[in-house]
Amino acid sequence: MSAALGKLLFIIGLAIVAAVVAITRKAWAPAAGHALPSIWRIAKITVAEARRRRVIQAVMVLVVMIIVSMNFFSYLSPHEQSRMLISGGLASITVFGILLSIFVAAFMIPQEIENRTVYAILSKPVRRFEFVMGKYLGALIILGAIIGILTVVLVGVLVFQDRLVQDLPDSKFDPNLGPVVFAAIMSYFALAVLTALIILISTVASTTMTVLSAFIIWAVGSLQSQIYELAENAAGATKLLLFIIYNVVPKLENFDFRHQVSNMMPVSVISGWHAVIHGIGYTLVVLILAAIFFNDRQV
Amino acid sequence: MSNEEAVLQVEGLTKIYRSLFTPAGVKAVDDLNLSVRRGETYSIVGPNGSGKTTTLKILLGLIFPTGGTTSIFGKGISDLSVRARIGFLPEDAYLYDCFNGEELLDFYAGLFGFSSRRRAELVEELLSLVGMQANRRVPFRECSKGMRQRLALAQALVNDPELLILDEPTSGLDPAGRHQMTRLILELKRRGKTILLCSHFLAEVEEVCDRVGIMYRGRLVAEGTLAELAGEPTEILITVTGLEGAAAEKVGGQAGVMEVRDGVVRMSKADEGQLWAVLEFIHRAGGVIVEVTRPRPTLQDVFVRAIGEEAK
Ligand SMILES: Nc1ncnc2c1ncn2[C@@H]1O[C@H](COP(=O)(O)OP(=O)(O)O)[C@@H](O)[C@H]1O
Ligand SMILES: [Mg+2]
Repeated sequence: MSAALGKLLFIIGLAIVAAVVAITRKAWAPAAGHALPSIWRIAKITVAEARRRRVIQAVMVLVVMIIVSMNFFSYLSPHEQSRMLISGGLASITVFGILLSIFVAAFMIPQEIENRTVYAILSKPVRRFEFVMGKYLGALIILGAIIGILTVVLVGVLVFQDRLVQDLPDSKFDPNLGPVVFAAIMSYFALAVLTALIILISTVASTTMTVLSAFIIWAVGSLQSQIYELAENAAGATKLLLFIIYNVVPKLENFDFRHQVSNMMPVSVISGWHAVIHGIGYTLVVLILAAIFFNDRQV
Repeated sequence: MSNEEAVLQVEGLTKIYRSLFTPAGVKAVDDLNLSVRRGETYSIVGPNGSGKTTTLKILLGLIFPTGGTTSIFGKGISDLSVRARIGFLPEDAYLYDCFNGEELLDFYAGLFGFSSRRRAELVEELLSLVGMQANRRVPFRECSKGMRQRLALAQALVNDPELLILDEPTSGLDPAGRHQMTRLILELKRRGKTILLCSHFLAEVEEVCDRVGIMYRGRLVAEGTLAELAGEPTEILITVTGLEGAAAEKVGGQAGVMEVRDGVVRMSKADEGQLWAVLEFIHRAGGVIVEVTRPRPTLQDVFVRAIGEEAK
């Protein structure tokens, strides 16, 4: 499918969704008045629970230590050092962000079922989709806080190092702060998409299966351009399969601006927004499916 | 009469669990019919695996039936207004374990949309009702089984429900905990709640419930009030001391006496006319009469009988 056709279909889809929402507004507005507070309460308790999880805290401390300790590679020239700090810092944020989002999202719903905590909630006037959306919103807040804290640490390290070396003759240390923050925000959007997909899988699969699929999706999602090339050169059933994978698995690499930012290349904000808008549409579809699947789940 | 009104109704309910390993399925509930009237305490009693939890989970919409229907307040469980009027204590209940009683009850009350002031009042009321004021700050993870169970009951009461559904409320508790829970259920009953509870533990049920349904292998094998189920006394027991060997044998030979063993003379209730003659004979043979009783069959006997008939 050509890129232009894809975009056209996407815009048509968006228009249809907008029209349906506008026409059915009266029907769902009162329901939303109930749903939003429930979703918010479930999100809040999910966040509060995560704040007390030692594992998350431990991983955060570890990543902060990694980012801070990267400062001590003092044999590099200031310019190389800034590149190394940026690429290393963004890599830590991305990789640990993904690991934590898999950890957070894959266990969220299956564990509620295994621990039987879900009974006390679903027997109250809470709809199944409100539960799923609350969990997703909670995950978004948790991951936002994680990425936010790590980004602040990375920015702090870059500013500190910049101060330290700026008096050296011919320093050329470039903290590149704007693009660094942009890249971090984009990796957060990638996590948002990935998390929705993990939650969808977790509504039907066991914890083990969910974690396994999450890693596969991460791998495939980061290699989408290679998969596209493979598909172009394949034939028959393999070609079809690869194209299905290419179109169904989120294109996580579209959110990855690490290479440009650490090499001080200009970043295309437009392509970032493209990825985000596409990601939002994708996430909505995934979340609707998750709600439908969870509605039929026997808990 | 509004007292006769059915609050909860189950008709022809069937549930078959299917999985990869059991393609034929496990029939957990088999054509079950049940109705609970307003204000009564109804107890489903049956051994483990008889389908009690399955029935309650279907009633609450946590799992879905293979066949049949259930209704509460005349509506389906998917109706949120129904769920706003019921409270559920799950079997072996577990709540978010990193929070304490205060935090948990505040959260569950929030799911009904109460204001923060109303929630604070509710938390106080409920903690005091279940006797958890002193331990209000203990994280659920560190609570004893009895404390957990009481918090879980409080959680089911945040909306002051008209109908309470309790799955094994006293199982796994020590005698003190069991006593506390039984008293709580009696208190809720006094407050006019309709209660559907299930248990594999008969003695607990005798104290609190108005009607009992005995469930076995997914079916209701007997149902009625305690008196109806237990029926009339069938025998007379005379407890005696001082009856030795030959004398005891002589008593055993008297008309109406079925058996003499371990100082107890058993007579059929049908031979009550012979009672005075037997007592006199015992007296003359040198025995001292300690007690004469006409015991009703215990629920345990009824239970064993009902299950025995079903098993045949
Ligand atoms: N999720 C499930 N999958 C398969 N079988 C189940 C499941 N839950 C219960 N069962 C089976 O259904 C029967 C009834 O179980 P249950 O309703 O828990 O009984 P009870 O609560 O009376 O002990 C048992 O044989 C049990 O093994
Ligand atoms: Mg059970």
